Amino acid sequence: MKPLLEIKDLHASIGGKEILKGVNLVINEGEVHAIMGPNGAGKSTLSAVLTGNPAYEVTSGEVWLKGENLLEMAPEVRARAGVFLSFQYPVEIPGVSMTNFMRTAINEKRKYEGKEPLSAKEFLSLMREKKKLLELPDKLNNRSVNEGFSGGEKKKNEIFQMAMLEPCLAILDETDSGLDIDALRIVAEGVNRLKTPENASIVITHYQRLLDYIVPDFVHVLADGKIVKTGDKTLALELEEKGYEGF
Amino acid sequence: MKVSKGDIFERVFIREEVHLQIEQEAGSKVKIHVINAPFSITVNQLGEGCQTEIYGLENLHGEENVTAETHVTHSVGGGTSNQLIKFVLADNARGRFIGDLKIAQDAQETEAHQTNRNLLLSETAEMRTQPQLEIYADDVKATHGASTGQLDESALFYMQQRGIDKQKARQLLVNAFMKDVINSISDERVREELLNTIDGVVE
Repeated sequence: MKPLLEIKDLHASIGGKEILKGVNLVINEGEVHAIMGPNGAGKSTLSAVLTGNPAYEVTSGEVWLKGENLLEMAPEVRARAGVFLSFQYPVEIPGVSMTNFMRTAINEKRKYEGKEPLSAKEFLSLMREKKKLLELPDKLNNRSVNEGFSGGEKKKNEIFQMAMLEPCLAILDETDSGLDIDALRIVAEGVNRLKTPENASIVITHYQRLLDYIVPDFVHVLADGKIVKTGDKTLALELEEKGYEGF
Repeated sequence: MKVSKGDIFERVFIREEVHLQIEQEAGSKVKIHVINAPFSITVNQLGEGCQTEIYGLENLHGEENVTAETHVTHSVGGGTSNQLIKFVLADNARGRFIGDLKIAQDAQETEAHQTNRNLLLSETAEMRTQPQLEIYADDVKATHGASTGQLDESALFYMQQRGIDKQKARQLLVNAFMKDVINSISDERVREELLNTIDGVVE
């Protein structure tokens, strides 16, 4: 097994307040890691820091993606290198069509990989193929990014983008929040079908429910900015029963 | 100039300074777009049931300094007017919008809208907006709105997270901001040409 992501003693703050207080985590190819924990523990901060959100400041520590220094890369370079975040709150972008947005994104990634851009025809057939995976209607192509999408459509659209971009590391930030059971099943099936022996996922969730569908190899408890406990999938069940008291 | 009873005056001015004084007769229609040029447009609806549409789009860079001015008067009732003026200001650009909208006492059942939206792309760009509404009739529907803001940082980050570099992401957002003005142009050929020009920056 090759390490895909190595996080070493990561500290990060927002507005001068320290949120991550020394996170250590190694993720190997082919693994699914769940990160659970109470609200305010730093779960979303971790995803923001890994993707280079400028609102957060890394104060110390290291993060390596396939042996490369992730923290030195611009957010868009991290994305092209294969780090994908399924946003907890996908952003609406009025006036920018899904097609234009996705085509720009795909071709940026291909350029980074030294590949030719996709033609309009190739791109549209790829869109059609990947959309089936998430049971997304065709009409979404011409709509503005996330504008007027329902909560479920927004989350499906995140996984659709993940299917298009084929990341090596997918971070799913509270992807289950606001989903009814049917949407949750579709989203989880999408994620499962995108799993390969070379890629990995971090599933951030407050509840155990999503982990019935996306079965993790490891479950970590993040509390007060640190990983305080690691176990297998049974840890999630234990947490569901006993709650986060004691952490 | 005069737009006669029932006539239509429709023009798109691109990079061409515009000074117009228009008197509209009953049932006439005026639709004007000004793209990337200073303008001063005065319209007086003198007959019943006139329609007036004025659109302005100013995409300014460097030391450019542009004033857009509209003076719309509803002297007679039953007419409509719609104004949408947008400025995008980069570098040290200066923009100014002066918008007078007057609805005379006799101009009952008038519908008038004036919107001015501005996007500042740098700390040193500046926009001044001076809307002025004078409404003397009581049975009217009139709205006006003015806002000046910056690009949505969360949208920029969202696009960067998909691998789009910041410069390109900014351009996509700026183009999105400008699109509704361009989409309101009736002439398909002109509209498509302008849309291609702004989209071309991105491809």
